[in-house]
Amino acid sequence: MQHEVFANTEDFGGPDIVAAPGRVSRPGVDVPYAGYELGKPYDEMFARDGKVRLPYTTVDSRVATLPLEELSRRQQACEQSFLHQGITFTVYNDNKATERIIPTDLLPRIVTAKEWDRIERGLTQRIHALNLFLRDIYTDGRVLKDGVVPRGMIYGSKHYRREMRGLPVPHGAYVNICGSDLIRNEAGDFVVLEDNLRVPSGVSYMLANRDVARRAFPGVFRAMGVRPIEHYPLELLATLRSLTPFHEDVSIAILTPGVFNSAYFEHAFLARQMGVELVEGRDLLVNDNVVYTRTTSGLKRIDVIYRRIDDDFIDPLIFRSDSALGVPGLFNAYRAGNVIIANALGTGVADDKAVYAYVPRLIRYYLAEEPILDNVETFLCREEKSLHYVLANLDKLVVKAVGESGGYGMLVGPHASQKERDEFAEKIKADPENYIAQPTIQLSTAPTFVGNGIEPRHVDLRPFILHGAETKLVPGALTRVALKRGSLVVNSSQGGGSKDTWVLSQ
Amino acid sequence: MLSRVADSLYWMSRYIERAEHTARLIAVKLDSMVEQTPEDAAASWARVIQALTGVKAEPAHVDALTITRKLAFDRDNDSSMITSLALARDNARQVREALSNEVWENLNRLYLRLAPVTMDSIRVHTPARLFREVLEEMHALEGVTYSTLSHGEGWYFLELGRHIERVQQLGRLLDIHFSAAQDGSTVPKYFDWLVLLKFCSAFEPYTKQYTASIRPQKIAEFLLFDSEFPHSICFSVDRMTEALARVAPGAPPARRAAVERLAGRLKAAVDFGQVDELMSGGVAAFIADITKQCEQIHKALYSSYITYGAETVL
Repeated sequence: MQHEVFANTEDFGGPDIVAAPGRVSRPGVDVPYAGYELGKPYDEMFARDGKVRLPYTTVDSRVATLPLEELSRRQQACEQSFLHQGITFTVYNDNKATERIIPTDLLPRIVTAKEWDRIERGLTQRIHALNLFLRDIYTDGRVLKDGVVPRGMIYGSKHYRREMRGLPVPHGAYVNICGSDLIRNEAGDFVVLEDNLRVPSGVSYMLANRDVARRAFPGVFRAMGVRPIEHYPLELLATLRSLTPFHEDVSIAILTPGVFNSAYFEHAFLARQMGVELVEGRDLLVNDNVVYTRTTSGLKRIDVIYRRIDDDFIDPLIFRSDSALGVPGLFNAYRAGNVIIANALGTGVADDKAVYAYVPRLIRYYLAEEPILDNVETFLCREEKSLHYVLANLDKLVVKAVGESGGYGMLVGPHASQKERDEFAEKIKADPENYIAQPTIQLSTAPTFVGNGIEPRHVDLRPFILHGAETKLVPGALTRVALKRGSLVVNSSQGGGSKDTWVLSQ
Repeated sequence: MLSRVADSLYWMSRYIERAEHTARLIAVKLDSMVEQTPEDAAASWARVIQALTGVKAEPAHVDALTITRKLAFDRDNDSSMITSLALARDNARQVREALSNEVWENLNRLYLRLAPVTMDSIRVHTPARLFREVLEEMHALEGVTYSTLSHGEGWYFLELGRHIERVQQLGRLLDIHFSAAQDGSTVPKYFDWLVLLKFCSAFEPYTKQYTASIRPQKIAEFLLFDSEFPHSICFSVDRMTEALARVAPGAPPARRAAVERLAGRLKAAVDFGQVDELMSGGVAAFIADITKQCEQIHKALYSSYITYGAETVL
């Protein structure tokens, strides 16, 4: 940290005038793209022949007029803004706590109107099918009787909550807030990599990234017709309200694990933006199956809880008894219909990496439609034939433990050593049902500022879907970036950053 | 308002007040020591150390920068400026949703600016200037708090924290100066009384009231009983009384009465206090009484609105 501490480091730059395209940059040749090597993956900015793709020409012509130092200064301004807002997480090392910002990149990632239309329709279709599936497995289990999904896979899943059986949820909407991870394959098509149906996070970074990217390139932003996303908190509020019969006078709270949670910034941010209470487990109590918060004036009833705590920790009487984060008696209040919890409990069974493989079949089964967005090809190690294939091709595959998230319990075959592969093979053989494998899909690359220029880095795309009385997507997403050259891991817990996503209106 | 939120706002405000008080004392001391003999400066520093740490220090010829480091930047010192700011920020982070962006960012920026400061950088920066700048930042923080937050319940909890802390700090400072005048060990000189006024940013307001004739009795009267000056005991007690009437509007009357009775008693003590009676040795006892009453109010505030048992209201 510098000691010129009172200098205004949040100055993003003066007026940002968009000139007519003066030059079209060539990757690997022109500054700042001199180190830009196009590889096998799809690149968001440059076509295979090195030409700038049409949606990126405005950004390119602006960036080309800026000296490297100026880009670097704007990048620092973005980071400074994150630091001051407290968009940080704490790393513990040798008993020393260090605060680091979630890295943000100032260059926007662009999604065209046509691409977005397909994403929006595809994800809407998907969340409908997944909600129908959840209702089915928590009531009749028709899909299991019909043999579409193996019974053991559902009832044996550690995320299946028997306590939820037969419990009605408003509008049949189990998943109210969903964040799906998409990637763009080598052909340039978006495919779904993962559905996050439990407590997906990242939406505040989507909004924070917008804030800094718009300030870094105000002129370009204006010129391009980027669709707004600032109404997300409003839509979220409307979705939560739609879950109760009384739409106006309802008291809503966000339940957070507390200030030490890595997503705490987001919980506080959403509470502030929506104007609802942010509560911790210790602020809530249940009496006679009604949930209250302790306020200075006395107890106040809570009707809807947007919980950011996993199922396991939400009620120590029903789930993990060692949980200090949850609220004793909450589940009974929920079962009695006195409080709505969003997302419903037990949704994790459907974003299990094994169920993932069945989603296209679920779409056909429940909606009688063809999936609009494809899955990534997936091998289920529980199936004998797939298991042999996976073990024989570990060097070409990414193997994931079912039910883990955040990039943990994962083997990236081509990047692993023979020893690591052999060790992982033993784990798979010991518990094949716990593993799936996918070809090493090359995530697409997007231009990313790396300090001495702009280089391609792998990215994914996480749009956020709201589903209450209706289904809504705000036209934007969190684009996560694997900041290490060549890395495919975009998780912020493992060296990932993020950047703004500009969905164009036409 | 959630009880936990009220708790955090209250402590955030107390810690900010504590940090500001520390910064002000050090800024004034660093500025004024150059005009003192080494013996006088040492006695004066000893009073500052006692006021800020509660530990009676013997005058010693210690390097002013070493003392400054200990009082301002030593994280092992529970009451240092940086510790207070870190605690204020921790509390603010827990109630981000109850604060405006401006309040949070001002506090966060100030903390991030001061967190890496070391002895070397203090030396380079002319320390007195650093502390003056810190005070400017703290005034800006007070300004955005006043102008960007609704003056509702949360704001009144901030007021409570600020003024309860201020009474305690001010009380200790006055006690040290007036007790020293009495026990005769290190009698404050004319210049020390002037510095005391500056410790409380009271020099100019005082001279407007009493002209530049600096007399201990007038100083006591001003800092204890002036109802218009923001760093007087009387002013803080008025603010506390008002704030107590505004928090927890829906609380049951019995619970409110417990707090308001204590506030009324404190206000009466200050409103009817007479400086003539105190000067014959009663300043210390008076301050001890006021401080004790503030502690009782703090306890009542907690048991009535924050840590009450849920079973008592169901």
